[in-house]
Amino acid sequence: MKIIKNLVILTITFLLSSQLASAESKFLVDTNWLAKNINNPKVKVIEVSVKPGVYEKGHIQGAVNFKWHTDLVDTVSRDIISKDKLQNLLRKSGVNKDSTIILYGDKNNWFAAWAAWVFDIYGVQNVKLLDGGRAKWEAEKKPLTPIASKVKSGNITLTKTNSALRARLSDVVAVAKKKSNVALVDIRSAAEYQGKVFAPAGVPELAVRAGHIPGAVNVGWGNAVNKDGTIKSASELKKIYAAAGIDGSKPIITYCRIGERSSHTWFVLKKVLGYDVRNYDGSWTEYGNSVGNPITNLSGTVWGKI
Amino acid sequence: MNLKSKIPSIKNYTGIIFVLFISFLVNIKVSNLDEVSYLSLWLGISFGIVLQKSRFCFYCIGRDFIEKKNSEGLLGIITALIIGTLGYHLVFGAFLLEPLSPQLPPNAHISPVSIILVLGSFFFGLGMAIAGSCISAQLYRFGEGLLSALFAFIGIIFGFIFAYKIWNYLYLNFIYDSPTIWFPHYFGYAGSIGFQILVLSVLALLFFKFHRKQKKQNTLSWWKIKWPTYVGGILVGLIGSAAYLRVAPIGVTAEIGNISRSFAEFLNIMPLRLEGFDTLRGCIRVVKTIFFTDNGLFIFGLILGSFASAIFSENFKIQIPSYLEIKKSFIGGVFMGFGSMIALGCTVGNLLSGIMAASLSGWVFLIFCSIGLYYGWLLKNKYLV
Repeated sequence: MKIIKNLVILTITFLLSSQLASAESKFLVDTNWLAKNINNPKVKVIEVSVKPGVYEKGHIQGAVNFKWHTDLVDTVSRDIISKDKLQNLLRKSGVNKDSTIILYGDKNNWFAAWAAWVFDIYGVQNVKLLDGGRAKWEAEKKPLTPIASKVKSGNITLTKTNSALRARLSDVVAVAKKKSNVALVDIRSAAEYQGKVFAPAGVPELAVRAGHIPGAVNVGWGNAVNKDGTIKSASELKKIYAAAGIDGSKPIITYCRIGERSSHTWFVLKKVLGYDVRNYDGSWTEYGNSVGNPITNLSGTVWGKI
Repeated sequence: MNLKSKIPSIKNYTGIIFVLFISFLVNIKVSNLDEVSYLSLWLGISFGIVLQKSRFCFYCIGRDFIEKKNSEGLLGIITALIIGTLGYHLVFGAFLLEPLSPQLPPNAHISPVSIILVLGSFFFGLGMAIAGSCISAQLYRFGEGLLSALFAFIGIIFGFIFAYKIWNYLYLNFIYDSPTIWFPHYFGYAGSIGFQILVLSVLALLFFKFHRKQKKQNTLSWWKIKWPTYVGGILVGLIGSAAYLRVAPIGVTAEIGNISRSFAEFLNIMPLRLEGFDTLRGCIRVVKTIFFTDNGLFIFGLILGSFASAIFSENFKIQIPSYLEIKKSFIGGVFMGFGSMIALGCTVGNLLSGIMAASLSGWVFLIFCSIGLYYGWLLKNKYLV
């Protein structure tokens, strides 16, 4: 009898621990969950990496590649991809109505989160991020393959467009002029926020003014992640953002330089904490070039001054 | 027979021990060295050994054909291209299931075909004839103790900087609109392989036809014997394919481009921006991020590999250049630097990695570099003797 009892306890412990070891929440999956579900036909993995050519050298088995430069944007005017084009792309990549989409990418999922934001605008269902992204998968020495896999066309249909997830220039100008009660989160580095630099090192200076939108608070995107790149727990996140005055009591707009790192924070605030958040994809490259709008520049940097 | 004559003596191994030690140092001392960069170093070492053992020198191969009707070297290049074509297409099929235009496989050296490519290839051929060997051969011969290579490198840097100065004009007026032609877009993968092998086989038959029997090599100990060029060719094809899969197509100009840029910046003569560079796929990169780039390690490895191999084969000899040799190396270097920059690669990055990748640009380079080589050979024999 004792043996049977022990066995039962052991089995329960094992089941529980395996449950814990691979977690799937509503918007996040961990690397172990994905490793276990890699052959699940309902799971569709999409890589969106910042750096071109990363996917081809080695990607998670079965993943398809979306290039943010061309696949998810309008390549002529500055805008996100149209609904029809996104539907075509998703169908071509084998996404069905009942698919669970797992997005991942390099650089802490910056563009994967951006894709999640674009997908959300067009009402794509069951979209989750691989927590920790490509970096964690690689760090755990999980397998990557250079071999692209053949996919059967999917049947997903996109019907609605939810523009409420997107903030426009006029929305942030209203905040800057104190005509609208919205919290602005600038997720760029402190040096960018303070106006010491026009853009991060290694990136072209696409704005002719430095500084930030008046009223914005600075919470760098990196505050939301642990050392291994995974997103911090909801209670930790609440504390971090509340310390900067972002507590969800009023609507929030996130922005960065081109709208990709801010998608990461958008994801954290919107999906993990459930706040009312819009992402301003025009970000500093639009605002810092716009004419006649107020700017706070704490450093007094002057563009072009020698 | 005594054992002594069958294996080389202790001192022959010193080069190998030196290289193992250096690569060990690189592995532990270079911070942020990832697996790919370390692999790049070892691919470079292998490439250096193969070039040294099989005398894979593009100019020497061309000269042997012109002067002695010896086709062996050319057949070695053909072998490399056939093996590389197969290897590259194998990788292409993994990266891109179907070669649908306008998609191109990542990183492959598939560059636009323009009059500038024609000119660059021609100047490169001219330069390699004047300097006595192309950039990759300068590197491996430097590992064998050929000091004149240093002057060629100085010339190459000058040539690069001159090309940087006029690049924007060339790009906007001649390169911008020119087509990038990748055979699989037109023939599919199977068709592209078939087409390339057909052309290469016809070339091989022609070379066999013109070939004259050569005097036999003296029988040497096995470690001194030069490997047949076709053996070198097979290995070059394999190294090229492996490098494409894991690191980047083989090339020897990217890091030289970086050094030239740093030097030009130091002199304050570097253009602020090189138009179109981010969009072109060649062997030239101007983004310098870290000291040890993958290509820098590849080139470093090439010299190391050649050095170890030369010591082992008893080919190592410090050669102090004469004034004439210095002059020829420098002038030839300037032409090679200029030509390879505007053509976006040299005999390795363009001819080998371009043709293996089934890019028309590689073939154009082959044709006009050969013409340049012939004129360079004529010129050298007339004026620079």
